[in-house]
This record gives sequence, C-alpha cells and structure tokens, in this order.
Amino acid sequence: MFFATYLRRELRRRMRQAIFVALGLAVGVGLVVTVSAASAGVKKAQTDVLSSLYGVGTDVTVTGEAPQPKAPSANSQPPKNATTIQGSPSGAEICQNGKCENAAGKTVQTLAPEYLPIKSAEVTDVARLHDVSTAAGGLLLTDNTITFPKNFGAGGGSAPPSPNTLSVDGVDTAHTSLGPLSEGSLTSGHSFTAADSDSHVAVVDSGYATSNSLKVGSVITIDSVKFTVIGIVRQPQSTSPPDVYVPLKVAQALKTGPLGVETGDVNTIYVTASSAADISTVQHEIAKLLPHATVTTAASLASEVTGSLSTAAKLVNDLGKWLAVLVLIAAFAVASLLTMSAVARRVAEFGTLKAIGWRTRRIVAQVLGESVVMGVVGAAVGVGLGFAGAAIISKVAPKLPALIPGSSGGGNFQSQTVSGGPGGASHIIGGIPDRTISVALHPSVTVGVIVLAVILAVAGGLLAGSFGSWRIARLRPVDALSQVA
Amino acid sequence: MYKLTGVTKLYQKGRRTVPAVRGLDLVISGGEWLAVQGRTGHGKSTLLNLLGGLDRPTEGTVELDGTDLGALRETQLTRLRAEKIGFIFQTFNLIPTLSAAENVEAALIPLGVAAADRRARIAAALESVGLADRAAHLPSEMSGGQQQRTAIARALVKEPKVVLADEPTGNLDEDTRDEIIALLERLWRERGLTLVLVTHDTAIARRAQRVGVMSKGRLTIRQDTRPGPHPGSQTVTAANDLAT
Repeated sequence: MFFATYLRRELRRRMRQAIFVALGLAVGVGLVVTVSAASAGVKKAQTDVLSSLYGVGTDVTVTGEAPQPKAPSANSQPPKNATTIQGSPSGAEICQNGKCENAAGKTVQTLAPEYLPIKSAEVTDVARLHDVSTAAGGLLLTDNTITFPKNFGAGGGSAPPSPNTLSVDGVDTAHTSLGPLSEGSLTSGHSFTAADSDSHVAVVDSGYATSNSLKVGSVITIDSVKFTVIGIVRQPQSTSPPDVYVPLKVAQALKTGPLGVETGDVNTIYVTASSAADISTVQHEIAKLLPHATVTTAASLASEVTGSLSTAAKLVNDLGKWLAVLVLIAAFAVASLLTMSAVARRVAEFGTLKAIGWRTRRIVAQVLGESVVMGVVGAAVGVGLGFAGAAIISKVAPKLPALIPGSSGGGNFQSQTVSGGPGGASHIIGGIPDRTISVALHPSVTVGVIVLAVILAVAGGLLAGSFGSWRIARLRPVDALSQVA
Repeated sequence: MYKLTGVTKLYQKGRRTVPAVRGLDLVISGGEWLAVQGRTGHGKSTLLNLLGGLDRPTEGTVELDGTDLGALRETQLTRLRAEKIGFIFQTFNLIPTLSAAENVEAALIPLGVAAADRRARIAAALESVGLADRAAHLPSEMSGGQQQRTAIARALVKEPKVVLADEPTGNLDEDTRDEIIALLERLWRERGLTLVLVTHDTAIARRAQRVGVMSKGRLTIRQDTRPGPHPGSQTVTAANDLAT
C-alpha cells in the first residue's frame, strides 16, 4: 500500500517527465507494432502470391524444363505439327507441316504445355523419397487462340493480334489438397472427386466464369473438347490462378502439339515434405533425381518474385525494422537519461530513506516500480499507436504489384513469329509471360506482437530504472546527506 | 550506551588527507543528552554520522550497546538504524510527495510493522508532536516548524534508543526554535532517549546535560553534568572524554 502510494505520488509530482518517458516508449513500441504488422501483412501477401503458384499444402514444386524459344532462321525447320506464322509478300501465312495458307480472317487455336513433360514414373519416384509425405502430378497447359483480321498483312502490314490465352490445369483428382486448386474456395457446385478422373468436367475460376458468363452446368471447349462446368472456385484476390481445372487424365489426353504430352505425363509435381525441416533435403533429393527439372520451394520462389511487393518487403524488413530499433534505442536512452536525472534530483530523498533504515533494494524496487509503470503506460499507448498505424497503412497503402517470372518457352508457339509484312518486325508470341499480381497490403497486429510490445516497453522502463538503481546502489547515505547540507 | 575508542576519520580531498575526527574517546550513557558545538568544518556532523552508522571510522571503534558499528555489514547497519536510531536533520528531509502521516510511516516500513499497528503508532507520534490535525498535509503545506515536528515524529515513531539531531533548529525562527527544543527536551525526558544534538546555538546547548565542542576534529567537554531525568544518565563523567 505504502509502495503504491509513494509510487503514485512520485509519478504525479513529475507527471510531465513521466508522460514524456511513457510517450517516448509508446512511439518506439508503436513503431515496432506498426512495422511488425506491416511485415506480417507483406508476408501474408507474399504467402498469397506463392500459394497461388503452389497451393496451400505444397512445400516443393517440381516443374519440367522450360521450353526454350528459338529465334527463327532462314534454314531452320519448325518442329513437326508446329504452327508457324510467317510473313510473305501477300501478307502473313499460317504454316503447319509445310502447308501454308493466308492468315487473314483465320483463327488459330493451339494447346501447349507450359513446361516440358515429366514421366509418371518419375512422380512415383518422387513420392517414394524418404522425406516426402505426398506427391501429386499436375499438367499445366496454355490454350492460345489468335484470330487474324481479314485485312491482316495487306497494304504493308498491320499490328499482329494478341493471342487469347486460356490457362488449364490438369488436376490429380486423388490429390486435390495439393496444387493451385487447394488454395481456392468453392462458390458454387463442387470440386473433383476421385470418380471424376476420366470425366470431361471442369472447375472454373470465378474471374474467368464471370467474364465468360459461365455457371455450373455450362459447357466450355478446350482444344475442340467439350467440358461441363461442375464448380466455380474463387482464388485469393492476390493470386493469378489457372482459368480452368480439368481432371489430369483428361488433360493428358488433349492434343498438345509438338511438345505434347504422352499418356501419363505431367509437367508439374506438387510435393509435401514430411516436416518443414525436411524441405531443403527434399529439394536436393528431387534435384538429384530429376536433374533437368526445376525444383522450387517457397523460399526460392519468393526470391524470384519482384515488383513493389518485393520492394515493400525489403522496405519493411530493412528500413522499417531498423527505424523501429533506432527509435526504441532513442526512447530507451531518453527514458534512462530522464530517470538518471530524476534520481540525481532525489539523492537527498534516497539518502534520507537509507538513513532511516530503508535497504537499498527497497529503494531500488520503488524506483524500478515507477519505471515499470511508465513502461506499462508506454506499452498500452504504444499498442494503440501500433493499431492506428496498421489501420492507416491498411487504408492508404496502394495495392502492391508483384512480378512473378514466367517461363520463356511456349509450346506450339515456341518458334512462331508474326511479321507485319515484308520487312516488318518479328513478334514472338509464344512463351509464358511474366505475371503481375496486385496484392492488397493488410497489416495485422497479432497477440505475439502485442506481447512483444509490452515486453519491450517494460524492458525499456526496467532498463531506465536499472540505471537509476545502479546510482542508488552506489549512493552512500552520508554522501547523499552531505549534498543536502 | 555509546563507547567511542580512538576514533579517527580521515577524508581524501584530492591528494590531501583531511582529518575530520582525531583520536576521539567518548562515552555517552543511555538516556544522556549531549550537545555538540563547534565551527563549521570541525567534525560535528562527521561525529554524528559515525554515531549513526552512516559512516565508518578510519581508525578506532564506535560501539553502540556493545556492538562495534564499524564491524557490521551494510545491511546490518541499515537494520540497526531502522530499529535503534532516529535522525533529525536541519533541512527536515521529508519526502515532498508524502503527507505528514506517510512521512512518519516511512520510518516503520523497514520494520515490517502491521498496518493496524502502524496507523496507531503514526497517530500517537503525530499527537506527541502536536500535529494530529496535520496528518494529511504535504510538507509544502506546512510551516518549517511543523515540518520539523513531522521529522521528529518520524524519528520517534519507531521508539529508538538514540536520537541524533543535526542542527534541528538551524532553519527555524527563534520562536519556533524554542518550541522545537522544548518538544525535544520533553520527549527526551519522557522517553529516556539518548540524545546527541549538534548545534551552533549556545542557548540550546546549555539545556543539554553535557556540552562538547568540536575543534579541528577533537572534542572538548565544556559543561558537565546537568542531572538528567533517567537513572542511567546520572553516571556520565568527563573522565571518559578526551579533552585536548
């Protein structure tokens, strides 16, 4: 009781100083909370981006070799079944297996795998690895459609038309918990079941469904094959999901041009490691098993994601954290100096208390108590400031674009060029382009951060108090009293 | 009872060694009132600090009831001060944020007195110095005399054997000075205290049983023994004092 009374009165006596110290700690703590919240928001955004490529439960993704674009040359022959578009004096021509026809007014549709195939036996080999929990194959395809205008190439050429691209994901219906589909939530219909493995059914991304007025029961055509829509799935806003999911077996049966897949082939393997600690081992084991494949973990993929999101992550992790640390150090230093100054002003008081029989540790406890109260007040205000900072960031921060690198190849369009006529510029239309995803930043203040904030503020108070206590402990009552005299 | 034997206290002032107290032998009986006079800087306060266990002698021993204060650890000295010695300072040395009652209470905190007992003792102490109606007042709300009364109550509330007063009236006007000295004298008589009082004021010193004068670190007894109120205090003799 006496302790509390003395503490309260002392803090009231130097209220301005106490408020200054508490506010200093509050600003430091508030900055830590805000930066941590922003960091958590950026991490969440990064996770969203990565899981869009991965799926939630996937630790490692294996993709087949990326098809390499080949610059066209005078003597080079396109692969068998490849569709090429080349310039001629009369305009552009579409050529396949040596037969060419004028492209004007024509529509070309091709289906190509995004990556070179991986044999099904290799999926089994990966699944058998010691540290692998589950492995499922997937087949990522791109359906490109180009419609040439009727006057294309006439009169000196025109701009080449952009392809209409539909991305298709062949999903292993026995392992729907892996891969991009696992990230989405169904808005209508249902997802695949094991019984759907041979059915011509599709789950459609909600964005694609809206833009093409599709609903459950609608029929879509992929490479001349009809699929019935059984479900609409919504992927996180920040992701760039495939447009259509179809059963893997059915996807494998689609006609995929010169880089086409054979029965059982996949071009992606989604892998779950036995534990988080095994991810690196699994990555190395698979790399050894499939030397030509690209083995990617979330960590390695994160390093490839660039753009403002990456910049924001760096900003938060580097500048933000250091700024918070510096402000905290400044707050601690100010609190310590003010406490030392307060102790210096109270030398006579402490000397008197020692003279009347107060033990040093009791006086130290009194001073530490005052500092801790300032720390707790600082923590409370700081957490409030942190929440306010997080809310402001959430409100004013623009969406952050994340650039996800694509593959440089491109299936049937690998060697296609479009020329606007004689002497016109070549235009490579094949390959998987880099994708830019806009991610909203939603800073989140977690309980852990609040606890950290309280610990930091109280630690700041204790640090300040301990400097004062050190002085008190060294104080001889006779010296303190002689200062008064 | 205090017994000082060959007490010397040296201070370092830069490279110089300054003797504050030199070769002092002194016995102060229980219940005695000793006034110490002397010019500033001649060792009065140093003597009081040695008696109060606030400082340790460079040479010699200071014994209180047979205990050598110089041999005690700091915590033991602190405990001894808490239990046996009351201090009264010239500048009152009250805690400015605490009321009169709380300042008095501060002296009972190290003793771990139960709250109910504490309240009763605080009330009695303030009553004895005539400040029962000022219990809730802060030092800044009281006159100098009232503040010194509060300090006296703080010194006496723990019922010490010894009260050491360093210029207790130095900051007070003449009327208040007389009040405070009368109060101290009354309490000394009533409670059988050993009172060592440092003062410049000869009028005050004359009221003590014995008066010693500190000069250059040595103590000379000039006035010997006025009968005291307690049996123990009658036995004081000048023979124990080193008069130089």
